[in-house]
Amino acid sequence: MTHLLQRFYNKGDRWMHLLISYNFMPQTKTSWDWEISSKTSYWGASLGEMWSFRHLLAGLVKRNFLLKYQQTILGPFWILFPPLLTLVTYVVVFGKFVGIPTGTLPPVLFYFAGIILWSFFSDSFTGTATTFRDNVHLFSKVYFPRLVVPLSVISTQLYNFGIQLMMLLALVLYYWLFQDLTIPIGIGILWFPVAVVTTAVLALGMGLFFSVLTAKYRDMGYLISLGVRLFLYVTPVIYPLASVPEQVRWVVQLNPLTPVFELFRLSLLGEGTVSPVALLYSILFTAAFFSVSLMWFNKQGDKLIDIV
Amino acid sequence: MADDIIRVENLSKLYRLGTIGTGSFRQDLQHWWNLYVLRKKDPFFQLGSASGHAAARDHIWALQNINFDVKQGESVGIIGSNGSGKSTLLKIVSRIVKPTTGTVKGKGKVSSLLEVGTGFNKELTGRENIFISGYILGMSKAEVAAKFDEIVDFSGIEEFIDTPVKRYSSGMYVRLAFAVAAHLEPDILIVDEVLAVGDADFQKKCLGKMKDVSRGHGRTILFVSHNMQAVNTLCDRAIWLNKGILKEIGPSTTVANKYIASMQKFNLSQSWENLKDAPGNDLVRFKHVELIPHIEETDGIIDVRTPLTVRFQFWNLLHDVSLNVGLVLYSYSGDCVFDLLSPAAHCHEGIVSGECSIPGNFLNDGSYYITLNVAKDAAIKLYDLEECLSFDVEDYRGGIQYFGKWCGIVRPKFPFLLGQKELISES
Repeated sequence: MTHLLQRFYNKGDRWMHLLISYNFMPQTKTSWDWEISSKTSYWGASLGEMWSFRHLLAGLVKRNFLLKYQQTILGPFWILFPPLLTLVTYVVVFGKFVGIPTGTLPPVLFYFAGIILWSFFSDSFTGTATTFRDNVHLFSKVYFPRLVVPLSVISTQLYNFGIQLMMLLALVLYYWLFQDLTIPIGIGILWFPVAVVTTAVLALGMGLFFSVLTAKYRDMGYLISLGVRLFLYVTPVIYPLASVPEQVRWVVQLNPLTPVFELFRLSLLGEGTVSPVALLYSILFTAAFFSVSLMWFNKQGDKLIDIV
Repeated sequence: MADDIIRVENLSKLYRLGTIGTGSFRQDLQHWWNLYVLRKKDPFFQLGSASGHAAARDHIWALQNINFDVKQGESVGIIGSNGSGKSTLLKIVSRIVKPTTGTVKGKGKVSSLLEVGTGFNKELTGRENIFISGYILGMSKAEVAAKFDEIVDFSGIEEFIDTPVKRYSSGMYVRLAFAVAAHLEPDILIVDEVLAVGDADFQKKCLGKMKDVSRGHGRTILFVSHNMQAVNTLCDRAIWLNKGILKEIGPSTTVANKYIASMQKFNLSQSWENLKDAPGNDLVRFKHVELIPHIEETDGIIDVRTPLTVRFQFWNLLHDVSLNVGLVLYSYSGDCVFDLLSPAAHCHEGIVSGECSIPGNFLNDGSYYITLNVAKDAAIKLYDLEECLSFDVEDYRGGIQYFGKWCGIVRPKFPFLLGQKELISES
């Protein structure tokens, strides 16, 4: 009898066990596609995820473009007017009044090359530096990799830069045809994309870095607009590096944008002062700064929406 | 048994209150110093420290230890009063904010609809907005293009599709925005109170569409709403959050009724024992007023079907008078629903009592209050006992697929006949 009872209990136990294991099975065996926890990541969205949002990127670029030029009379021509107007000012003020030498290059070409690369840099940087602050409404309502927004800003600016570059090439063509300007176009042109990409990556890196700060501390917004204006003067936009006095040249050379601007002019117009060491410094600085900024952006981006 | 598609475990969310910006740099530094230099846990971010600690003042737990599972194809309603943490919960599941502790695990693609018109831009045309909003909500270009006609059709604004949405009426805007959202095809759809906007017809259409989505395509829906009728109809289960704590989870009707009962504002009876303290004057003083709902079910909710009885007693201090009692029912907005006068009664000094019955299937849903008055000879008002009773009448629709506010001051059930008279013959 005891034996039987024992067996019964054992059986019962087994049934209990089965029941329990059945109940708990889905918990132990289910594999989840995603998990949300308090952990924040330095790595951000995977490349696959970014790729799935490529249409959003294209859509945002298109939106930026439409928003800027809808209901304006001149429309996309506004891309060309500001740099041309700035060019006239620079030629008159710095060329004629102040008399900054521009080497053998005509001042128009020298300034215009500087202006368009600088406006590409500064517009990209200031445009991305307020990513969180400007998009808080969107970010607090829907999830997508936050990086898509600054990338869309950079892409928009790259598009504008492309159009301005056409203008520069038109000016070059004019000087070549009618002013007997000789431009040694050769293998040096291959350095042109290096200059543009480095500018874009540095602008994006700085933008990502400051976007976190502007979200947290409002003062940063003012600091950035002031900083960019001052930064212009340590970048060879209105003067060539060669014309900077030897004793203060190191200040300008410390700026990672300096070799890039010189390289840009060298590759397109055939005149510029850039050493391999300076260029390497610029590229390495940009790569390192961008990596750190991107990681910081990813890490902080998850938490920022609580405090913006 | 369907598999779990979302699992929420020990989820908590702490919010920092107060002046953000000023002093937050200092707090950040302190936090950093505590965490990395002193190697001790930051006191601000520990569960349970909120009581009795200095941190309690500027920190608030929006959610505390929330646990639940959602099965594939299930619709779950999330209810609770304002500030109960409903939206925070949805934002965490949508990956918009990070939880402070705990995890949410899930399977498949999530789309969240926390507002109508996410990513819409007033300057762009309807067509441009459909695409950009679709992308933002996670659709691919091919998906939007394939559904474009359907979206335009659903919104019913074909003629205006190439007009900037800033020229739309607000109704058109909402239609278009919801049309985009309604054509998302995620595995999990998260919806926050989007039904609060738009006209009744469109709300009905949206709810119908959402129902199709969950029942027809086996999709899972998390749905926050203040509309209990919508929750009851749409959702299989409901979660009741109260001040960040999960109060109840279960079949939506049960949870919704409990929630409603907890929210109802009652003042169903008042009594005065002593003549001296009783409200009134030298002529009459009230002793007792009471509203008795005749509720059949035990959940204790007065809904549109519930018959009500008002009972009252008062001291009459006059000798040999003819008295009437008036019962005036006001809606919460102060409109008089009716003003009833009792038949006259001949009374002497002493206690006079009476009652009045309000039938069920008469009042519309809403909040009401009652004023009683006593008059002499049906002409001279002796005393008004103002707003002595108040109660809420809840909605009940019994199978009617309409969720908008039911019109009318009253909602009587008068005899109403409808039937097939004859058939159209085939020839």
